[in-house]
Amino acid sequence: MPRTAQRFHEDPGLQPERTVLSWGRTMLALCTAAAIFLRWLPTHGPFVLALFGLAACTAIGIYTTQQARYRRGSVGISNEHVEPDAVAVVVTSTAVVALGVLGLVTVVVF
Amino acid sequence: MSSAEDPAERRRSSFSERVLKGGSEPDPRFTLANERTFLAWIRTSLAFLAGGIAIEAFTGDIFDLAIRKFLATVLLLLGMLLSAGATFRWLGVERSMRHKAPLPLPIIAPLVAVGGAIASGVLVVVVLTR
Repeated sequence: MPRTAQRFHEDPGLQPERTVLSWGRTMLALCTAAAIFLRWLPTHGPFVLALFGLAACTAIGIYTTQQARYRRGSVGISNEHVEPDAVAVVVTSTAVVALGVLGLVTVVVF
Repeated sequence: MSSAEDPAERRRSSFSERVLKGGSEPDPRFTLANERTFLAWIRTSLAFLAGGIAIEAFTGDIFDLAIRKFLATVLLLLGMLLSAGATFRWLGVERSMRHKAPLPLPIIAPLVAVGGAIASGVLVVVVLTR
């Protein structure tokens, strides 16, 4: 473990906290989308559950990685090095694009 | 885990190394700020998706089928474009910062404006001519 991980980062801009909160807001937006998808259930059938599941899984994925994300940010600010989280970015936007595709399929087909 | 003090010894995940080659480490604060900007775009995209779904789910007795499907499709397509565009913007900004280059223009910004205007325009026409 890097020695700097044990001391608090000195960042008056509260970058790690703001970043974690930003992910939290995105998670809540996904929950809202998941809930609205359920309103399609009576008219568009059980296919809608795939959309609900994808949105909910993405939200759960964000939720379970929040602690690691805060650690990465605060340790990173202490070390003056934060690795850009390309995996999280690509996974999140792919999930949203997939939600859009499934949504279009629902609107056009079902 | 080795000490992260020496830049040469810093371990980079293979994926982020592959997509972000060369240049030098930007200020970590900028990397986090770029991540938050990406997330703001993702939330905007989710708002468009939710709008598209809401149009399709809640306006059955207000709009006829064709208009409803058109609006929902436009909003869903916009949401998808914004979400994909957000990743490319994040990548472009991160690369520019590594190479100390000027930041790229946000192409997704006019996309939101034009898409929003089209959807609103259709709604205005439909409501007025009903």
